[in-house]
Amino acid sequence: MSLPKPMMRGLLAKRLRFHLPIAFTLALTAAIAFKYTVTEPKKQAYADFYKQYDAVKEFNAMREAGIFESVQPTGK
Amino acid sequence: MFRAVFRLSASGARSLTRSRPCYSAPLASRCYSHGKVETDEEFDSRWVTYFSKPDLDAWELRKGMNTLIGYDLVPEPKILDSALRACRRLNDLASAIRILEAVKDKAGPHKDIYPYLIQELKPTLTELGISTPEELGIDKL
Repeated sequence: MSLPKPMMRGLLAKRLRFHLPIAFTLALTAAIAFKYTVTEPKKQAYADFYKQYDAVKEFNAMREAGIFESVQPTGK
Repeated sequence: MFRAVFRLSASGARSLTRSRPCYSAPLASRCYSHGKVETDEEFDSRWVTYFSKPDLDAWELRKGMNTLIGYDLVPEPKILDSALRACRRLNDLASAIRILEAVKDKAGPHKDIYPYLIQELKPTLTELGISTPEELGIDKL
């Protein structure tokens, strides 16, 4: 039984033509998914935290805790 | 802005691959806008002639094979026949068997190519007394 001649040229080109668009799409999807599930929530969390942030109140709390050298707690 | 980029690039990448004709053209041709594209037959006969040179030296044999293996194709039986005869002229049995191993590897996942090549080369292999890697048991690790 004699074997027929198979396709012997352009095998890589054929494979790439199929897989390369898929690869690029998947990579792009992964990047977009990461952006919207990780970086945006993180940025939002920071924004929310600092929206109601009172720097002076935080400073006074730290001052009372006695961690500064340049300024003493109000008691002393 | 990112959504626009995504839409553009996804469709752009696909249309790029579709509009480029050189993807399915003979591998050895570069994508020139000028210049003639070499046909498969011209490519094959060029390589058959290369290996048919009577005073081909060992370096030229190795160089030819390495260049040939670099292309996106499995060499035709007639090119391999010419290369195997060159190995015979150079008394290089090792390279002859290595050529068979190389084309089997070039076929990659396409398991129907190598048996076809051996079938076509059988007369030459018998005439020149070249054993296949399978006959020698060196095809298994």
